Amino acid sequence: MIRAYNVSKVYENGVVALKNVSFKIDKGDFVFVVGPSGAGKTTLIKLIFKEEEPTEGYLVVAGRNLSRLKRRDVPFYRRKIGVVFQDFRLLPQKTVFENVAFAMEVVEASKKEIHRKVPLVLELVGLLDRQKAFPSELSGGEKQRVALARAIVNNPEIIIADEPTGNLDPDTAWDIIDLLKEINLRGTTVVVATHASQIVNTMKQRVIALRKGLVVKDQERGGYRIEN
Amino acid sequence: MKIRTFAYFVKEAVKSMFRNGLMTLASIGAVAAALLVLGCFIIITLNINYIVSDIESQVEITAYLNDSLENDQINDIGREIIQIKGVKEVVFVSKAQALEEFKERLKEHKNILIGLEEDNPLPDSYRIKALTPEDVGFVAEKVSSIKGVAEVKYAKEVVDKLFTITRWIRIIALGFMAIFALVAVFIISNTIKITVFARRKEINIMKYIGATDWFIRWPFFIEGMLMGLIGASIAIGILMGGYYYLLKVLYTHIRIIKLLPIKYFYDYAGYMALAGAIIGSLGSTISIRKFLKV
Ligand SMILES: Nc1ncnc2c1ncn2[C@@H]1O[C@H](COP(=O)(O)OP(=O)(O)OP(=O)(O)O)[C@@H](O)[C@H]1O
Ligand SMILES: [Mg+2]
Repeated sequence: MIRAYNVSKVYENGVVALKNVSFKIDKGDFVFVVGPSGAGKTTLIKLIFKEEEPTEGYLVVAGRNLSRLKRRDVPFYRRKIGVVFQDFRLLPQKTVFENVAFAMEVVEASKKEIHRKVPLVLELVGLLDRQKAFPSELSGGEKQRVALARAIVNNPEIIIADEPTGNLDPDTAWDIIDLLKEINLRGTTVVVATHASQIVNTMKQRVIALRKGLVVKDQERGGYRIEN
Repeated sequence: MKIRTFAYFVKEAVKSMFRNGLMTLASIGAVAAALLVLGCFIIITLNINYIVSDIESQVEITAYLNDSLENDQINDIGREIIQIKGVKEVVFVSKAQALEEFKERLKEHKNILIGLEEDNPLPDSYRIKALTPEDVGFVAEKVSSIKGVAEVKYAKEVVDKLFTITRWIRIIALGFMAIFALVAVFIISNTIKITVFARRKEINIMKYIGATDWFIRWPFFIEGMLMGLIGASIAIGILMGGYYYLLKVLYTHIRIIKLLPIKYFYDYAGYMALAGAIIGSLGSTISIRKFLKV
């Protein structure tokens, strides 16, 4: 589903965020990308999402070579991927319902479809009773779940979550991870970037560990261990 | 595009216009001002053209005929002249008439012409009016090549001068139009830039959830177009009202100056509305371009 071939990313300011990274994620996988702050996790997600271009190497995602993807095809490619951003990126002037519905409006879904689907995903993330609230009225965990609802509403093939448990208390964090696992069990490929060692260790899923831009570990049913 | 999607775009555009109330007013004002100036120029230019071409077409060509032509031949020449392209009117002036006119002009000195009636030295002639000043030279040339025409005369300098004047008026007016249109585009693009900047986060998110460039662009496009159209409508309203009032005043007080009737400008009102829409959408296209590169 996602393959990286010797990918390197050097930002314009000279920071080397990724060095010669290669890996393979199959359809239906649940993968943690771990590593200390600055390791390059977000950068990797940005490359998969084509928000940034690799300096060297290339990625093939959902059967597309991203380096060859035409500009006008990028929106259609992105519709296949649901991203939960580290900073949520919710629209402050839209309600919970509208934020999720927005993702469907953008892909020109019908009103009927929107009114059928949005309550369903809000139910799934447990926010149906908060649908009229604005993001400023939500807790961090709730915002996280809205972002997740928006990411899954268009049935993407891949869900990528960047630090989805970032500032959440352990219980809420687990709720989010359980949700992601549930989505994964329905056949969606899930990639989660995180620091949360406890969760990673307990989940026993595939782990790709990054450090200073290098893949230092890639193992099935791995754990999180910060090596020095 | 689905109707519902289009309705969404229009709704977004109108919402955004209300949200930036003051800037929207400023943009509409800018378009209105630019088109007002443009419209004034159109009205002035067209009216000058109208008045001038009235004078221009009054520039006469006189074709003197050979002596000793039969009446039939004279009629044939007349028929031939009227068939030349650009000829508006042909009048025959006989030797006798010419002499009478000459006498009129000489007034008290007309005695010196006594005795010429028997042996009139003035030739028969045709007086020709052209449709436009551009036609005068051509018509004169054609007429002079007709058999039986001895000589052709017209006020060449007058025609040429009028010709240059109208040309310059056109060039200057066009120049001003271009400048004002550019200013309006600039102001609109700045207003929309403010909207776009205020909503850059939203645009970013839209891009990340898979919105196409056009999906993002449409609301801004419509917003610019609406501002342009509203500005144009205001300008058209003011110009039409003002011109209607001017015609009324002129008609009741100074009846000699004849201006173009108002219905002549209906087409131009349409063009101005179109210009407003183009200015608006151009402005919005310019301002959003750089925000789409994500
Ligand atoms: N837009 C950018 N321009 C320049 N340097 C950047 C940019 N984004 C990230 N970096 C740098 O690239 C390196 C990797 O950053 P990245 O955001 O990928 O780390 P991360 O693993 O997501 O960290 P965290 O766990 O703190 O989110 C860092 O050194 C960072 O400073
Ligand atoms: Mg990060």
